[in-house]
Amino acid sequence: MEKLSKEKKSCGLSVLQTTSDSKLETHLNSCVKCGLCSSSCMFYMTFKEKKYIPGYKVAVVRSIYQRYNTFLGKHLPKISGARDLDEKQCEEMIDLFFGSCTMCGRCVKHCSIGVDIPFIVRKGREMLAEMDMIPKTLQSTVDAALTTGNNMGIPTEEFVDTIEWMEEELQDEMGDPNAGIFLDKENKDVFYTLNPREPKFFPLSISAMAKIFYAANESWTISSTRYDITNYGFFNGKNSEAATIARNLYNEVLRLNGKRLVLGECGHGSRATRWEGPNLIKQTYKVDTITVVELIAEYIRNGKIKLDKTKNNVPVTIHDPCNLVRNGGLLGEIRFVVKNAVSELIEMNPCGNENFCCGGGGGMLAMSEYNDRRLKIGEIKANQIKASGAKIVITPCHNCVDQLMQLNHQYKLNVSIKTIAEIVADALVFEPKNEKKSDE
Amino acid sequence: MMAWYFWMALAALLVCALQFIVKLIRLVKRGAPKDLSTPKGKVSAGVLYSATVAMMPQNKESAYLHLPTYVAGILYHIGTFLSLLLFVWIFVAFAIGIYTPNDTIAIYPEYLRIGHIVAACILFVAAGSGISVLIKRLINKELRFFSSFDDYFSNFITTAMQLATAIFLLYPQTIIWYCVVMTLAFLWMPVGKTKHALYFFAARYHLGFFYGRRGVWPPAKIH
Repeated sequence: MEKLSKEKKSCGLSVLQTTSDSKLETHLNSCVKCGLCSSSCMFYMTFKEKKYIPGYKVAVVRSIYQRYNTFLGKHLPKISGARDLDEKQCEEMIDLFFGSCTMCGRCVKHCSIGVDIPFIVRKGREMLAEMDMIPKTLQSTVDAALTTGNNMGIPTEEFVDTIEWMEEELQDEMGDPNAGIFLDKENKDVFYTLNPREPKFFPLSISAMAKIFYAANESWTISSTRYDITNYGFFNGKNSEAATIARNLYNEVLRLNGKRLVLGECGHGSRATRWEGPNLIKQTYKVDTITVVELIAEYIRNGKIKLDKTKNNVPVTIHDPCNLVRNGGLLGEIRFVVKNAVSELIEMNPCGNENFCCGGGGGMLAMSEYNDRRLKIGEIKANQIKASGAKIVITPCHNCVDQLMQLNHQYKLNVSIKTIAEIVADALVFEPKNEKKSDE
Repeated sequence: MMAWYFWMALAALLVCALQFIVKLIRLVKRGAPKDLSTPKGKVSAGVLYSATVAMMPQNKESAYLHLPTYVAGILYHIGTFLSLLLFVWIFVAFAIGIYTPNDTIAIYPEYLRIGHIVAACILFVAAGSGISVLIKRLINKELRFFSSFDDYFSNFITTAMQLATAIFLLYPQTIIWYCVVMTLAFLWMPVGKTKHALYFFAARYHLGFFYGRRGVWPPAKIH
């Protein structure tokens, strides 16, 4: 590692000195280092290494904070355990904060005090980001989003081609030439967003959602240039970049005068847009912002779509994306939708707010250097899936889908992985008028 | 007229209280995060849940997967709060003449003896729990790995405070030692990790704020 210059060091330390509320001070001073959080962390449970104890990650940030900001830390560092911020420390921080934490937040719920460990981990990432120490793999994902408008760098022409192809498929399937996937339309009720994995690898999940919109007779659109819901700036710790990505999407919604921003099936993207977005761009969103899970639940409640559970008659289980459930409050909505769409739901144990991360969160999927570690920690989820006996795993997050597919292969689970839109689309019952339309 | 050792402990308590008050004012001034997102749930419901149901042992792996440590921790904290309450009581009792300092021996009425014995027993159990927690930290290599002097000393001084209080209740002639230990404990409390006595409540508030706003707490029923 390069020598840490004074300037970089002070940039890193500034993260701990600039705080607008009491949250950082609180969580830096709350941990009692009981170590009991270890049994709630996938990394520790898998590897049994002391560096993976979540409390240790807090201790690292706190020790640096103390070294430069407290009397004891400055003058008697040994007493408080204060540490210098140097090259060696930075190397450890990169491994701890980027490579050993998916920021799933499971440890928070089970912490004896209630220390927000992922919040501190993110502060650690912010420090590293300020010192230009973001893993290159993760940064390249952010750079792609900043320069091309989507994190996979899909050219607009390619995206438009994919959408047109899916639209033709949809029209054929519905037997209705008016069925469509509407690009860049103004004044629509729904401005829909996608995870770029959909046009790149899973176009059928776009057509599944298009079918639902069609069944609900929704007025909707997708932007051809700013459709990406993901925001890896939330994971790389560079707030300015996260803000730019969030602002780009928000401005596009305003440009097309969308009435409602509907967040596609992406856990971190939904979180980064709905919960962090307004704070990143420092303004309250003028448009209603909801996840697609909530929208589908609304359709079911209002009778805008009809579902036949018997169309999905194999046992299914739900993988709860951490950013949507434990950190997003969608526990009830996800179950409401799934129970309306399938005959048999078997819950994993534990599930809901207690769920284990799939292992691909926190930007782990974007950092290939941690692939082995990511697949190893995923064994916990794989075992949960096996134990459930389900044949289909449903999850409203394409990031989780990707990781679960890899786990499916690695641990020979023999299950299908589906998104909520896909399982709901499979259960759709079209009203006679639609059938009539197709007859015509 | 109270003796020097009592004034010393009182002065330490004052310093301790002032430091906590300064920290509290700073926390309140900085306040909750200025969140611009549209809430899905209620902060008040989240904070209430955070401070009550979420703390129940059946809802925390740190409790139900580690019952001996959890029970020891609860007893230890009961002992800490009891010690602090008793210090206030002892001071008030001296001030209003229920206890009479007689050079280095505190004299108190016979009718308080049973109360003293009961409190001392509770404190011995609490201190025993504190010692067990300290031993665990000393022998567990993972805890040792990220422990500093503060972690050991905070544990030690808090346990010592409980023991000193218990011993004083049974043997009032130890009043000087009692006051010395209380002085050290009060001076350390806002400096060491013992300051979580304040930050714990702030942490629960922040969790309630975060999860309440997002509609995570109180959780929806799924079964």
